[in-house]
Amino acid sequence: MNTIITPISSNVISQLKIGEMISISGYIYTGRDAVLPKIVSLIEEGKLDEYGINLEGSVIFHTAVSPAGVGPTSSNKYEIESTIPALSAAGVRLHLGKGELSKETIDSLAKYGSVYAVIPPVTALLNSMTLSTKIVAFPELGMEAFHLLEVKEYPAIIAIAHGKSIYDYEKQK
Amino acid sequence: MIMRNKNDIVEKVKECLIKAASTFSDDKKEVYRQAIGRETVKTAKWVLETTLNNALVAEQNRSPLCDDSGIPHLFMEIGPNHNVDGELLLYIKQGVAKGLRALPGRPMAIKGDDTQRIDQSGGLDFDPGALLSAPILLKPTEEDVLRLHILMHGGGPEIRGKTFRVFHKHKVSVVTEEIIEWAVEASGKLGCSPVTLAIGIGRSHFEATSLMLEAMVFGNHSIQNEIEQEITDRLNKSNIGPLGLGGDTTCLGTFLNVGPQRASGVRIVSMRPCCGIEPRKASIDL
Repeated sequence: MNTIITPISSNVISQLKIGEMISISGYIYTGRDAVLPKIVSLIEEGKLDEYGINLEGSVIFHTAVSPAGVGPTSSNKYEIESTIPALSAAGVRLHLGKGELSKETIDSLAKYGSVYAVIPPVTALLNSMTLSTKIVAFPELGMEAFHLLEVKEYPAIIAIAHGKSIYDYEKQK
Repeated sequence: MIMRNKNDIVEKVKECLIKAASTFSDDKKEVYRQAIGRETVKTAKWVLETTLNNALVAEQNRSPLCDDSGIPHLFMEIGPNHNVDGELLLYIKQGVAKGLRALPGRPMAIKGDDTQRIDQSGGLDFDPGALLSAPILLKPTEEDVLRLHILMHGGGPEIRGKTFRVFHKHKVSVVTEEIIEWAVEASGKLGCSPVTLAIGIGRSHFEATSLMLEAMVFGNHSIQNEIEQEITDRLNKSNIGPLGLGGDTTCLGTFLNVGPQRASGVRIVSMRPCCGIEPRKASIDL
């Protein structure tokens, strides 16, 4: 299993292959439907620094953060998937969630040198791998606020990289 | 006037909810073990093993199987010598709230008026217990019980579920082919496969959905009829696999519930592709 430590360099990303199992350690951001469009707005307005957010080499995990724990939500929900191109352009190197993404998103990930990985919905196991949580922006959104987590060895599988998708079932048969 | 012990009922309902949200049923554990034994794709086998391990840890800790701890859906069986009244329903409501706080459930109740609850502009209630149950379903039974079933419905399967009409052309195969087509599309996009398909077939959208919920209550992975097995087998040939990453295990089982039908060329079919940790359910006799 390939160990990924954040922040992630472009060189590390370039060597990842679809189907590869990885573990992720370090600091990662979280966001989902409610907050990711707001983060894109901050990028467009040049206000990320005001919140102390540095997306270069970062990971964004599509999850809520609540007393129930963390776990991937569907990355193909409109307000999540539609933000992936802008977030990739701003430096997010790895988007972590679940579910198939569109051809347009696959192309945008390749264009900006980012990848998409899926993580099993194993909240009870992830609890022991989540070392700390902190709200970074938009606390009024509660569990959907933009959080920073410190994580140790989150397990994941590369699903989309370099224009290829593991969800292309017909080609795999 | 029926004499009830309020604390006893509230506590039973609380424990039932915690069990539903944190525990795999025995047939689900067994079907996972069988799938792990059969799976030939390495990553798929790892996902199945990790998901089962997660369930064992959640059961031990009495903690949520998934961070989307789910919306409570209640189904009650009522025997001939039992009564349901407003007092009992109030105690059940209090037990659900207590269970959600103790779990703890994800605080995801939306505050505000109609428009604010649609666009989510009223914010969230940070109290897990503020999450209201879906309307309760009541069903008479000949058994001498007053039995409450609690199911916890996650959001992913709701995105991919479907209730729609099927023109059956007087052939069962027409209906099953339509269901399989829906299920393949849903399983690929769900992202949390392997699925368990819950299906209700009825005369109206309400009835079909109610039958689908009942299928989740009484369905058992170890007991599959011919149609259920055919749907499961066909879905497993899709190569969607666990988490949609490819593999032999896309579907763990099918729970089909066919209700009364009308004289018509139309059947109303409700299909819910329960994710890999669902159906999350538990039962308690009150």
